Amino acid sequence: MKSRIAALTAGLLLMAGAALAHHGANLFDMSKAVPLKGTVTRFYWGNPHNQVEFDVKDDKGEIAHWVAYTEPPLVMLERGWSVKSIKAGDEVTVYVFAAKNGAPVANLAKIVFADGKELVANNIPGAPAPPAR
Amino acid sequence: MRNILVTTAIAVATAAAAVTLSPAVRAQQGSSLKAPDLSGDWIADRTRGGFGQSLSLSDMGGRNRGNESDIPYQPWARTKTLSEKTSTGPNAQSEQTTDPQVIYCEPPGVPHIYLWPIKTKFVQTPEAVYILYEIGPFFRVVWLNAKHPADVDPQWWGHSIGHYENGDTLVVDSVGFNDKTWLDQMGHPHTEQLHLIERYKRVNQNQLELDLTIDDPGAYTKPWFSHRNFAVSTTGFLRYQQICSVRENQQFSDALAKPAVTTPGK
Repeated sequence: MKSRIAALTAGLLLMAGAALAHHGANLFDMSKAVPLKGTVTRFYWGNPHNQVEFDVKDDKGEIAHWVAYTEPPLVMLERGWSVKSIKAGDEVTVYVFAAKNGAPVANLAKIVFADGKELVANNIPGAPAPPAR
Repeated sequence: MRNILVTTAIAVATAAAAVTLSPAVRAQQGSSLKAPDLSGDWIADRTRGGFGQSLSLSDMGGRNRGNESDIPYQPWARTKTLSEKTSTGPNAQSEQTTDPQVIYCEPPGVPHIYLWPIKTKFVQTPEAVYILYEIGPFFRVVWLNAKHPADVDPQWWGHSIGHYENGDTLVVDSVGFNDKTWLDQMGHPHTEQLHLIERYKRVNQNQLELDLTIDDPGAYTKPWFSHRNFAVSTTGFLRYQQICSVRENQQFSDALAKPAVTTPGK
């Protein structure tokens, strides 16, 4: 059963390939997923793409506000996401394919919650292992 | 003996009629055949090609756009294809795309809609087959026992008539398209002369195949062919309404796409 679910998940990720780049995937570095630890400030569940907004605090205490997008709800429902998957205040590590120009915007690869639960949004080529907790 | 003669005469007449009948009459005749069960939620079969970007069977990924061996372009159609900026595929220019579906929220049309990661559903009645799509949500009507209008008015989804064949295939014959849609994600154009033939065949309980004949003497030198494979999905149909909203697209562009194309420091 586990392998069937894994195969299904992989398939669903592939299936979304046609729509993946509709709104700018070529603007993001899809070769590596970068982990960012932060706090969710807003989760937008809707068309044309879901968006997760989160604040990331750096070593100096300065906060950067990030926005990362996923495929639309119709596709993300197939991957086990829902409107209730994420909420403001969640402490998360967001793996992102960051904008090539350095802006704090990204294509979302996956989210790891404080309890270790993961929500995968996209294929991650050569992604680093989740940080030890 | 008389019965044999009568039977033979009917058989000969039927065979002759089968050769000479007009498509509309054959559609009527065909509709009396057993209709295949097309029920199910159909999605592109990832084990057999998936979605792809292009209708070209020699270049499904769109890497050789404009130079596919199986697309018989007229010169203007090749030039037009190469002039388009796609929103997806290997050379996507999503923020400058000329894809009318993306920039104007226009219907993708058919067969373009089969390049999207959405499900398709068939509702079969004696009079018509309704084809439902998760994006839009759009639907088409395939009229059974019908003819195309003599002076068809070009529209987004064309005018479709259909019939069943062999107990396993729905044949859809469509004309009357406007020329505003792309045939696929790679910008292949068509004109109002497009005549599209779709053959949906349920090959088993879980698989559906679609053979496409694209006949457009306004854009291509001869008919060309494509194929799509579908598998049954069990995750449910239309769990979310994928509606194209200019307002929502603008919000996304402002929040995410524009920052990503802005030169740092400006």
